[in-house]
Amino acid sequence: MIKQLTTDQLDALKELVNVGVGKSAGMLNEMIEFRIRLQVPNIKLLTMSELQTELGARLGEDQLASVQLAFSGSFAGTAQLVFPTESAATLVAVLTGEEPGSPDLDALKIGTLTEVGNIVINGVMGSISNMLTQPLHYEVPAYIEVPVYIEEDINNLVSNKKTQQNMDILLAQARFNVEELQVQGDIILFFGVGSFETLLTAIEDVG
Amino acid sequence: MALIFITDDAAFTRRMIRKALQPGDNEHVILEAANGVECVNLLESHTPDCIFLDLLMPELDGYGVLQTIKDRQLDISVIVLSADIQDSARERCMALGAFAMLKKPPKGPEICEMIQTAIDKA
Repeated sequence: MIKQLTTDQLDALKELVNVGVGKSAGMLNEMIEFRIRLQVPNIKLLTMSELQTELGARLGEDQLASVQLAFSGSFAGTAQLVFPTESAATLVAVLTGEEPGSPDLDALKIGTLTEVGNIVINGVMGSISNMLTQPLHYEVPAYIEVPVYIEEDINNLVSNKKTQQNMDILLAQARFNVEELQVQGDIILFFGVGSFETLLTAIEDVG
Repeated sequence: MALIFITDDAAFTRRMIRKALQPGDNEHVILEAANGVECVNLLESHTPDCIFLDLLMPELDGYGVLQTIKDRQLDISVIVLSADIQDSARERCMALGAFAMLKKPPKGPEICEMIQTAIDKA
């Protein structure tokens, strides 16, 4: 049985994620020098299977590139930056100055996207950590690319040692667009429900 | 001319720092390390004036490098350049003897200004 979030808790979580995503959008803007448009974050408490359905619907049938950063501390989970691979390639071309489709661009892709993900995700999580005064420990970021969406691929995106099939998860998702480049992506945070209680307590403490 | 280490597992960031430090001429000698272990190995044979140091790296992270420098009582200005914007990360770095902490993405003028301050201090 999933615990329900109160309106106040949802509002606080949304604001927390909003501020964090705003900070990370600022960092991405510094890197690419194009305006980033943000959508209001989507916050939901889900089971793992609901999460898979939700992400499948939200991310569509694109081929996806994802950078994951697992975090632990008083609350634990995984934060991800997910792009359709076409958007990812455009972003790398802008950042490196290489021509789209060139062999050099392909070689630079993983390292560049991993570092972009690292910076953007740290912007979100660091902002949340600072606001709640709850220090977090990060693992080294990982890059994952999955073919056209099928359920197993979403499993690959969301599964790691911190997220298990029978676990309830708080999904916080924010979509951003770089209109001039036709680049879009999602920042997705999963909090395991065990640590999620600590997160809510920390929010109440600062609210 | 100064000897500078750039320690970061992201080649993308190493390249950005190098570009900021060497805009055309070879003002500084730069050695690169892709993780903390490589950085500590470089310290066996070189004494840099300054180290640009990432925090989150495989093998040995930035905190481990700072701890090593502190334990060996090496007089090196370490500029931590990290995406980790947590206050706790900054406090830990400063307690371990970091000279300064900059946030990623690196900005050219900020890097040049910081390196000059670090070299002047040395």
